[in-house]
Amino acid sequence: MADRRFSVRHLPGVSGIALITFVVLYTPVLILVIYAFNAGPVIGRWEGFSLRWFTAALENAAFRNAARNSLIVASVAGLVATLCATLAALATTRGRRFRGEGGIYLVLNQPLLVPEIVLAVALMILLAQIKQATGYHGLGWLIIAHSTFCIPFAYMPIRARLEGMDLTLETAAMDLYASRFYTFRRVTLPLMAPGVLAGFMLAFVISLDNVVVSTFVKSPGQETLPTYLMGELRRNLSSEIYAISALLLFASVAVVAASWLITRRKP
Amino acid sequence: MLEVQSLSKTFGIGASAYHALRAVDVTIAEGEFFTLLGPSGCGKTTLLRLIAGFEQPTAGRLVLDERDIAAIPPNRRPVNTVFQNYALFPHLSVAQNVGFGLEAQRRPATEVKARVAEMLDLVQMGHLRDRRSSELSGGQQQRVALARALAPKPRILLLDEPLSALDLKLRKDMQTELKRLQQETGLTFIFVTHDQDEALTMSDRIAVMEGGRLQQVATPRTLYDDPANRFVAGFIGDTNFLQGEARGGSVTLAGLPPAPLAGANARSGPVTVLVRPEHVVIGHSVPQALQVEGRVERLVFSGTDTHVHLRLGQGETLVARTQNSLHSGTALEQGAAVNAFLPLEALRLLPDEAAHG
Amino acid sequence: MAETSTPETRVWRDELRRRWALASPAMIVITLFSILPLMVMVVYSFLAPGLYGNVIWEFSLRGWAGVFTERDLFDDTLGIAWAHVTILGRSVALALATTALTLVFGLPTAWFIATRHPSTRAFWLFLITIPFWTNLLVRTIAIQEVIRADGTINRILLSMGVIDAPFAMMFTNGAVLLGMSYVFLPLMVLPVYAAIEKFDFRLAEAAYDLHASRLYCLRRVILPLMKPGIVAGSILVFIPALGAYVTPRLMGGGRAMMWGNLIDLQFGQGRNWPLGAALSVVLTLVVAGALVWYVRATAAKGGRDG
Repeated sequence: MADRRFSVRHLPGVSGIALITFVVLYTPVLILVIYAFNAGPVIGRWEGFSLRWFTAALENAAFRNAARNSLIVASVAGLVATLCATLAALATTRGRRFRGEGGIYLVLNQPLLVPEIVLAVALMILLAQIKQATGYHGLGWLIIAHSTFCIPFAYMPIRARLEGMDLTLETAAMDLYASRFYTFRRVTLPLMAPGVLAGFMLAFVISLDNVVVSTFVKSPGQETLPTYLMGELRRNLSSEIYAISALLLFASVAVVAASWLITRRKP
Repeated sequence: MLEVQSLSKTFGIGASAYHALRAVDVTIAEGEFFTLLGPSGCGKTTLLRLIAGFEQPTAGRLVLDERDIAAIPPNRRPVNTVFQNYALFPHLSVAQNVGFGLEAQRRPATEVKARVAEMLDLVQMGHLRDRRSSELSGGQQQRVALARALAPKPRILLLDEPLSALDLKLRKDMQTELKRLQQETGLTFIFVTHDQDEALTMSDRIAVMEGGRLQQVATPRTLYDDPANRFVAGFIGDTNFLQGEARGGSVTLAGLPPAPLAGANARSGPVTVLVRPEHVVIGHSVPQALQVEGRVERLVFSGTDTHVHLRLGQGETLVARTQNSLHSGTALEQGAAVNAFLPLEALRLLPDEAAHG
Repeated sequence: MAETSTPETRVWRDELRRRWALASPAMIVITLFSILPLMVMVVYSFLAPGLYGNVIWEFSLRGWAGVFTERDLFDDTLGIAWAHVTILGRSVALALATTALTLVFGLPTAWFIATRHPSTRAFWLFLITIPFWTNLLVRTIAIQEVIRADGTINRILLSMGVIDAPFAMMFTNGAVLLGMSYVFLPLMVLPVYAAIEKFDFRLAEAAYDLHASRLYCLRRVILPLMKPGIVAGSILVFIPALGAYVTPRLMGGGRAMMWGNLIDLQFGQGRNWPLGAALSVVLTLVVAGALVWYVRATAAKGGRDG
């Protein structure tokens, strides 16, 4: 150690613990992914590389139905949440502060401030009554529930993007005879687009991953991918579950990587 | 012709209210290069933003061509702005930036194209028409911003400290360039700056502002020679303030014979007399001047000039500016006793400020 | 309104109206489907339980009484519900332990990432962000695979002959602690990283220049400046850990149940909705308390800085 250059950034032991953390973080996930490609039916006994469990999953009608539901819910809820969050971000990042802005901020983040299980059972209590009254048991309830808790997630990157934007650009557009709508279409929207896209992707992933709210809000017989997985886990652990888990993992990585690339791109 | 009539702007209410502009009255003539000059927070930018329409006045009227425009939104005012940070649209090319105002007005594409080309030629930026604004240097961005604001043919061009982000050399070039553009187009320019040199060299008339009020509106020459009050005198150039006593049409400075000064007739009691450092003569006597004795306290060399700080017999300080020539004659030395001459025509009696409130 | 209509007030009024209109869709959705349900739940906690779930619409404090007490099945006397006390106590203890464990591993990890060269820093940050956005269920399955009866660890130990029979690790408090620490770790690393990244390392150099030892510098300069990040990370881990549902269910089963599972139970087999609602309200209040502490802790810090 004596010949080591002194650096204030170096603390003894830190790198060791950090590397252990990364190993511990990734080893279980890697094991899971590896066994998803196992040819044999028993987890833990490697019988060669195979895509059979992925094929089995994709041919499984229950899985396909759950996947379809998840994609519909995540897409629609993502879009609704992004739209609401975009409008709200436009309201809270432009111009002078006004009385009630703190209140808006609190309401927008409220779903994050309550434990998920509490929101889930509260929604179940309310929606149980409404479902009975209206007789509608479709995906709409999942969509509206997911839209609700996705709003604060979509709001974060959009707000960040808008706050980083130079407000005089909009002033300049108005000065150059642009109407409010023309300014929005030609200046604000193109400049905020990466933030909106990142917000949508975040909302999409959050919705796709949700277990707790879906479990309590879904109608009987309805499944999303995570609730289907949860139900299967209760029965037994199979290579097919690992394959499904691996698929979900790949989807998340792809979306995160994409949104990472988008938000890091300079305007 | 733009008439600003008792225009006021207050931000906030009650105890936290901030009066950015207090009943400002001024008339800006057609084709004039008019400058708003003052320290930061004096209200000059607020006045500009009110004329542009980005803010609405708390009271007063803004009359352009006999029409009150105070209630007209900025996108329907025949007024364009060159912003301090240029505010070029980063996602559009140079040509698209310049054409923005015309396209927003739904002008035909052929007209837009022709006008954009004409404007880019005017600011010598035609060769960079397809660049993004982020790829331009500060001076180039400045030219694009100018072309963009001129393209829709505004009645008045507003410039909000447009040169403050440029370095000294480039700023000098752009000053000349701006003046040329203004003379070529014959357009009314309203120019905001905190830089007195910039204001003095470019403007037809200057409005000096402080505390939300106009302190003096005059030509550069008049501002310098006949400042209306102590603030203007101190803000524009360097000045010696000397204390004196007015009585019977003359002013007596401490220890000196009474001197007949313009405007002294109407005054009596303590007064302040101004004299610019470059008007103080050291070494040789001049006719029609007051002679004072002093000791050289400090010599500050600044290239073309040397500033001589004198301590007068009564303890007052007097600064004289002497030009450095090849044969500066008798070199002054610190501690030396010298005679300084104050030509009577260079002495200005500061108007009574109490009378103005 | 008798307010005078100058251009100034008119423009400001229009802008206010427009901004409220823009905010309203999000406000309406959240009010209807998050705030309203919570209020309904508070009402339900004061109703009587129905025989087959749901409620009977009459005022009752039985739900609230059930949080910590229970009636004896035989002699109908009121006693303390030790099962509940155990579960709530375990929830708080495990949430605190999870926070501590993620802090022990998360702090060095955040420091490590923040002190990498800018060109490689993005890569390490990406590595910690991936688990952050990966399905919690998938990550729980992954850590479960490692410690279950015929999972990775047991297989390795058995094949090496260290043990003869699988080592039982699942369905214990330790398993829940490990699972929650594993899934919530990124929530600790990210805010602490953000704090360290903003840290001006010249301050540490100044401390060393003034003859501070490493430990003294860490204690007096680095840790105080990292405190906002540590506090934020702790709150981000503690709150979801306290209300965790998925991980304790999969890793703890019926033996290491937590608060969230107890709430779930009242709406399922327990068929005691008012008790479930009351337990939810208490959990929400505890979380709100933690948030208030968080706001106080960060505000106090701001105050000291002037």
